[in-house]
Amino acid sequence: MKLPAVLPDAPPSNVSGRTTSITLFTTQKWWGRFFMPFMFATSRAFPKALAAMDGLSFISFASWSLIRELPYNGPPQQVRRLRFAHLFFEVSFNGSWTQYIDSSVRVLTTGMYSFWSSSRSFPGPLPAAPFQAFFKDHEVDTSHYYCAYPEATVTTVRSALALEERLDMFAHRAENIPAAAFDAAWQAFLEHAQVHL
Amino acid sequence: MRPPAAPELELPDIQGDILRAYGNSYDRTSYAFVRVDGEPAQARAWFAGLLDHVTTAQPWRRKPLTTLNVALTASGLAALGLSDEAIGSFSHEFRQGMAARAELLGDTGPSAPSRWEEGLGSGDAHVLLTINAQTTADHRRALGKMQAAMQDAGGVGVLYQQDAELLHGAREHFGFADGFAQPAIGGATEDKTLGGGVPQKDGRWRPLAAGEFILGYPDEDSNVDRRRRLPPAPDGALGRNGTYMVWRKLHQDVVLWRRTIEGAAVRYPYGDARKLGAKVVGRWQDGTPLETHPHGPDPEFEPAARGANDFRYAADRDGRRCPLGAHVRRANPRDALGHAGKLSFRHRMIRRGMPYGPVLPDGVLDDDGAERGLVFVSFQASIFRQFEGVQTPWINDGNIFGLGTDKDFLLGDASGSGKMTIQGKQPFFLAPQQAFVVTRGGEYLFVPGIAGLRAIADGVAG
Amino acid sequence: MRSPNIAGGTYSLMIWTPIRPGAEDALRAHLEGLDRRSSPLATLPRTHMARWLIVPDMPVPPRTHLRDPLGNQYLLFTSNFDGDVDSYLHELVELMGEAAAIWSHCIGCPRPAEGAALKAYLHRNQVDSGFAFAAYGNASVAQIKTALDKRARLIDLVVRAQEMAPAERRTAFLKQFGSA
Repeated sequence: MKLPAVLPDAPPSNVSGRTTSITLFTTQKWWGRFFMPFMFATSRAFPKALAAMDGLSFISFASWSLIRELPYNGPPQQVRRLRFAHLFFEVSFNGSWTQYIDSSVRVLTTGMYSFWSSSRSFPGPLPAAPFQAFFKDHEVDTSHYYCAYPEATVTTVRSALALEERLDMFAHRAENIPAAAFDAAWQAFLEHAQVHL
Repeated sequence: MRPPAAPELELPDIQGDILRAYGNSYDRTSYAFVRVDGEPAQARAWFAGLLDHVTTAQPWRRKPLTTLNVALTASGLAALGLSDEAIGSFSHEFRQGMAARAELLGDTGPSAPSRWEEGLGSGDAHVLLTINAQTTADHRRALGKMQAAMQDAGGVGVLYQQDAELLHGAREHFGFADGFAQPAIGGATEDKTLGGGVPQKDGRWRPLAAGEFILGYPDEDSNVDRRRRLPPAPDGALGRNGTYMVWRKLHQDVVLWRRTIEGAAVRYPYGDARKLGAKVVGRWQDGTPLETHPHGPDPEFEPAARGANDFRYAADRDGRRCPLGAHVRRANPRDALGHAGKLSFRHRMIRRGMPYGPVLPDGVLDDDGAERGLVFVSFQASIFRQFEGVQTPWINDGNIFGLGTDKDFLLGDASGSGKMTIQGKQPFFLAPQQAFVVTRGGEYLFVPGIAGLRAIADGVAG
Repeated sequence: MRSPNIAGGTYSLMIWTPIRPGAEDALRAHLEGLDRRSSPLATLPRTHMARWLIVPDMPVPPRTHLRDPLGNQYLLFTSNFDGDVDSYLHELVELMGEAAAIWSHCIGCPRPAEGAALKAYLHRNQVDSGFAFAAYGNASVAQIKTALDKRARLIDLVVRAQEMAPAERRTAFLKQFGSA
């Protein structure tokens, strides 16, 4: 069979197993240098603000930082203080990045406004296509990405952690009940554990 | 933002069978993949000869005996002389072709392109002629005309042909009624809105923007865009009123399916093989949704009736009625992903597939060696978002449903390690995942509008 | 006050070090050439996820000319790990053989790039996060790996157990998950 002329895409360096990592920097409008620290402080004080993001269950880690000044190591390092403040955003998630963006812009619309409103050239979260372009325009390539459990996803990790507790309890019970009672206990265990399997 | 009224669709310029199905009276179909061997100009002359016979979306006064529709692959556009620049305005995944994206689609192992039938995925399939006919005689006549035209023109020939035929009761080979659940398209098929549209929070439904399926019209994103930008499409006349097409020949191992389900059903605590099969699919064989009728099919169920598909999954978070990983729940999650369907409404496809091969009579558990299966055909404005966006994360994976790496048990890439959980008071497990369905070949194609076909034939985009 | 770098039980670390002019391509090639399946970061078992990036310059907002030159290209190292940063950096300089090979491309890196000197250099170049999110609460890498393994083994058992007689099932379960 003659093979197709266009070759498939090579695996990218920011993907490890089922997790992708994306890092981006956006240039802040003048008021961002006050607004972003306020957003950070609010998010730290009210963690429930991120409940929607948490609920989407495909983001494992994310961090935001306002970069204004860099640690100085002497020449030939040239710059210590930047002209603008820059918002650093790094996120690790499962699925393709377009799925990530698509889901975020529709479900986290308000959150998206809050975090990106002070970024120059921010087109708004919806429609998705210009926001996707905004994301891509501000992305910095990852050279090497490591994940300790690459084949796992947020839902499998959460399931595994929830399951482990139940499993340990059941194992302890199983050792201490008469053999004849095992099957009924096993079925009861499975009934509650099935959603994690 | 209230979406604007649906725009007027230019039906005479849109090819037929996309917005509205031709209907079950056209029960014989041939898919003829044509290869251009000669010069582009010669091929364009033949191509131009087709145009007067192409069936459009205009409503019929009288049903034609046969219909003809034309689609092209990326290499086909090149073979007909389209410039690199013009071809470059088509989507990335279309230009790469389905074979190059096999990993993404789960076409590995027995479904890998290296094992596809001769011609498919090779880059030699240029133009797809889809011929539908009402009777065998009409069918034969249409094929004869097609062959004659090619011979007269020279430089073109049929590379690969697949004939298909509707089965009794519009079922596919595993015995399930298929093809009646379709998206409700604003300005075209609003009759399907109840159950076929976007589920709203208040319990109602709304149709999808036409631009999700036909290029040149506002899509769902356009409707939340202050500037009402249209979705990306090939340049000018090439793109307008066109759409992308996915064509896949899916071999079905009916004996393996029957044996697996019947074998597993022996231990299934809640019913027989029919029920177990329904649990895998998410519908009973007659099409009754499991979600509304978890214990048995509805004898009054009419798949094509208004509201036949009016159901949701939000009240069944545990999958006790319809399993979380059931095929129809994966292929069209409706509100199952939460957030009022926001994560699923932009991943709908129009499906127009047809079964091929002889029926294996009920109850037969021995392979007769015949080839049978489904020609899967879908139409969508974006192959990446709407076809691949279902195939990769929803069919060939389970993460978004909380099912880890479990794949669609009916359809998913079968490397033998998969399972399916049938949720219930006593959960039941089906394992290992089997290769009930194997991809025998496929192509990504574009279906231009009539003006687009003409532009290609006239060589204006060369 | 709790450090802004902490999310759940994990710490979100960010270290910026300027790259010696002329050494950028070599460093990029070195990083891209690292084996993903046996990453040097695997030597630090407390690491959930970590990355090396080269930041050539801050992206310029499209359709503007608002350049903000960094002056040098920067190596950015980020990591999400369990526990405190001080002991993590200590482990990094002690256990990650590659550390010297990587950071020696950077301005101000001590020669030799090892031990307390390297640790101090990295620490000095740490930039705080404004806000960090972690999905797994207080679960450590080890806990997560153990839990994932148990889940996989349980799934395997559950599928096989369906075919077993009750007594066999009990034996199989205790064999896998009993404390004996």
